[in-house]
Amino acid sequence: MTDVDIAGAGIWSRKFGNWDEFRDVLAGREVEAGGVLKPELIPARERRRAPAAVKMAVEVMDQACRMADMEPQNVATVFGSGMGDMQITDYICRTLAEAPRMVSPTKFHNSVHNASTGYWSIATGSHFAANAISAYSDTVAASLLEGAVQAVEEELPVIVALEELAAPQPFRSVIDVDEPLAIAVLLTPQGYAAAPLAGLRLDVREEAPGAPATHAVPGAEFDNNFAAPLLPLLAALADGEPSTFALPLSQGATLDLSLEFAAAARTAQA
Amino acid sequence: MNLTRRSTVARHSQGNLTHMRLAIGQYTATSAVGAGLNAMRDAIRTGRSGLRRNDLEHCDLDTWIGRVQDVESVELPDSVAHLHSRNNQLAWLGLQQDGMLDSITALKERAGPERIGIVMGTSTSSIGRTEKAYRHLLPSDEMPPEYRQPLVHNLHSPGIFVQAVTGITGPSLTISTACSSSAKVFASAARWINHGLVDAVLVGGVDSLCMSILYGFNSLELVSPNPCRPFDRRRDGISIGESCGYAIVARPELIDDSDFVLLGYGESADAYHMSHPHPDGKGALLAMTQALQRAELDAGDVDYINLHGTASQANDRIESRALAQLFSENTLASSTKGWTGHTLGAAGILEAIITLEAMRYGEVPGTLNCDEPEDDFDFGVIRQNVARPIRYAMTNSFGFGGNNASLAFGAAHD
Repeated sequence: MTDVDIAGAGIWSRKFGNWDEFRDVLAGREVEAGGVLKPELIPARERRRAPAAVKMAVEVMDQACRMADMEPQNVATVFGSGMGDMQITDYICRTLAEAPRMVSPTKFHNSVHNASTGYWSIATGSHFAANAISAYSDTVAASLLEGAVQAVEEELPVIVALEELAAPQPFRSVIDVDEPLAIAVLLTPQGYAAAPLAGLRLDVREEAPGAPATHAVPGAEFDNNFAAPLLPLLAALADGEPSTFALPLSQGATLDLSLEFAAAARTAQA
Repeated sequence: MNLTRRSTVARHSQGNLTHMRLAIGQYTATSAVGAGLNAMRDAIRTGRSGLRRNDLEHCDLDTWIGRVQDVESVELPDSVAHLHSRNNQLAWLGLQQDGMLDSITALKERAGPERIGIVMGTSTSSIGRTEKAYRHLLPSDEMPPEYRQPLVHNLHSPGIFVQAVTGITGPSLTISTACSSSAKVFASAARWINHGLVDAVLVGGVDSLCMSILYGFNSLELVSPNPCRPFDRRRDGISIGESCGYAIVARPELIDDSDFVLLGYGESADAYHMSHPHPDGKGALLAMTQALQRAELDAGDVDYINLHGTASQANDRIESRALAQLFSENTLASSTKGWTGHTLGAAGILEAIITLEAMRYGEVPGTLNCDEPEDDFDFGVIRQNVARPIRYAMTNSFGFGGNNASLAFGAAHD
């Protein structure tokens, strides 16, 4: 059993560009500007070179730190994406399938799975551990668990950033994702943040997983997006609604998540 | 809910660097010098390099590569035929060496398959298979039917494969942080076990030769036309290789005959540049310092350090600069990439295993192909193999994105 606090959250899609817009969409309100992607944290010159995958991740990580009022250089990072940057993979594989095989050096160094945490550490000056993982369709559960265990064991705040891009055409043969989505939650050891949003308990159950619950966001379809299984938790976080969730973790394990608001309320009263 | 800015107490600026002592059980490695530990020991003793002139199919680059012989003929078990890729063929070849599968079976009986985790490291995953699918795209821009393998064209392909062939059912993930990937698997394993999440972790790393890597590093002008020459003044780039390694990391009570312990890990970010190391080696120094602190060791206690030592101009100069800030000449240092090439996401665990083997036999590998050592470096490497008992040893792994990891190992018995 692992107990952490959620100190901040960030979210980006083409339908909603931040936490407030996400709450508006959940409440059925119209969002006008949703989805403009321009992470201010990355200097303009670097932003032009940064791929969309990096901009999405850095944007939501920055949002989460701002919400928690936490200095970004003081947090460790766990980036999780089941498929990685499919747009760059598509570019590289197309380029290599034809002559001459001239791969752009910038695109090549941006193709590493840890590109987002690399740009993040450069932009923030953070020297803390920067991880990048995948667990395919179980990436949400694996990333939350990895981040929570690190937060507790190393007594550090850890940003867990999850994202999946829209699939380029050839990848549609194996995964059909239309809508990109990025989400970040800032996890801290209990008592670390003065006023956390909520408490999160993670528990590994030794049982083969069922399909994860999906959450309908009005007007937005995130079918097959491996970051989307986190949406129900984000919606409950936005509603202040104590909730439990079960997410597939591996071929024989399920991750039970319990979101509770007592700790946050207690801190706020104190 | 009120979501205005909240104040935070920042009281743990360094984080917790708790001492640890985790058992290392069975391990194995396969690289260009051969499959399994005996081939590796023989190659290191005799100075036999696994590098050869590039003969990878479809690749016309003038360079040397560390190719594992006959990977393409490895047959996967029927139950995982749908996971076919060069990377998984290499993963399977490696898993069959040195009694690794028997040791995993014994561990499952002792701990229970649900109390064991899997943490794999890779940079390539099965992208070689994706490249091949793209060479055969249909006019509709779809992959041909035989390439429609959802569990292969993704970054967790090694983790999915190892789950399937070992029957381990605990938590499983794949780390992909470029060339530090399979060093960081030990850090995650340590956290998982210390936390009580699992009792043991099968850690591994597998990276295979593919066009993306060869042409990608070539575009950055980092690939040598010669066999790589780490720490040599004529060094002119890396030789890319492929390899696979596995190790069992466990609570000490679970392994009766463990010879080695994992004492510490360090992880850091350079926060400097995506493909060039920090000029002062700041991230490298942080990773090494953290590993020493967790291990409760002074730098002077470390008998041997296996270096990242890629033979790129920048890496070797900067790594030597970082080493000089910590270590004295009592610590032997070498790069073993002249034997194996730089095996990228698999290099961390391959070199951890080379280091454990050096401890087992008291035989420290030198730096193959370093014939004219750079004479103005702050810290020098040993060129020839040296016979010396090793009690404590370290390894360094540094990757793109400024992603660094260092590991500290000790002998289990004094």
